[in-house]
Amino acid sequence: MIFLIEYDRTIGRIVTLETFQDSEFQRAEDSRLELELSLNQQGVEREVVLLEAATEDALRKTHRRYFEDLSELTSAPAH
Amino acid sequence: MLPSSQLSKNQIDRLGARLRKGDISDDDLRLLDSYRRSFSEGYEDVVSRIRDELGLEPTGRPAKSTTSIIEKLRRESVRLSQMQDIAGCRLTAADIVEQNDIASRLGSVFEKVTIVDRREHPSHGYRAVHVIVGFRGKLIEIQIRTSFQHLWAELSEKFSDMVNPGIKYGSGDNEIVTSLARTSRLIALVETLEKQLVDDKLLGEVEEELSKAKQLLLELLEETRENIPGARGD
Repeated sequence: MIFLIEYDRTIGRIVTLETFQDSEFQRAEDSRLELELSLNQQGVEREVVLLEAATEDALRKTHRRYFEDLSELTSAPAH
Repeated sequence: MLPSSQLSKNQIDRLGARLRKGDISDDDLRLLDSYRRSFSEGYEDVVSRIRDELGLEPTGRPAKSTTSIIEKLRRESVRLSQMQDIAGCRLTAADIVEQNDIASRLGSVFEKVTIVDRREHPSHGYRAVHVIVGFRGKLIEIQIRTSFQHLWAELSEKFSDMVNPGIKYGSGDNEIVTSLARTSRLIALVETLEKQLVDDKLLGEVEEELSKAKQLLLELLEETRENIPGARGD
């Protein structure tokens, strides 16, 4: 699965999360560009990143920072 | 969209210079998008071979985010065309024995490989093994982290997001930077000890003690957060 994440670093939270099938790689890249252009035109600073993982659970383990706050990161065991 | 094959090194580096300065135009974003897409073939090859030939399941990042690229350009003297981590993927290992094993197996699967051992040379406390694979002139970075190295890296990133972006590069908040540095050294110590015990076939005799040490390490990480004003996440 492919995940398009729009993340607000200042509050440490995901703003939008869009998922795509593996076969939709190009569409996911197009959506990333569209989102970046839209944010740029609005003058909004966000981290926009495309990630790929077998499942959302797998993604949540390897990229915990996007999904968990500091409290959750330090209280949950290391994966 | 400009076909990525039409981008010259000069064009890429001129784009990098504009990104470094700020005030990014829509055309710059489109050009950067084309450049990042030029890594797709190499990225897909590397990820599929890790899956098919090693039976491992990496989490991929087909392209570094614009934010991270700009930060790196501003922080370092590197040119955009020289960046080694535009595309890559991440693998986590239980411990450094497994981490070494994965790095070694990657070395046997891919021909052009550079191994960067950030355990021997940590970057502001960041420890991991990075394997850089060459594919038709493009570099793809594979990060291999142990569970503890990964947790530490995620915490460092989160502190950087929420408190000060300089933290993961050793600046910005002395108290947090010092705590993270101390914890990184402790993780290194515990992991090295664990590897030594495995090498000497003594792990079974002290497994319970080692498990307690790891639990203490987790508690220390939690205390790091709790004791730092502004970093409690509440």
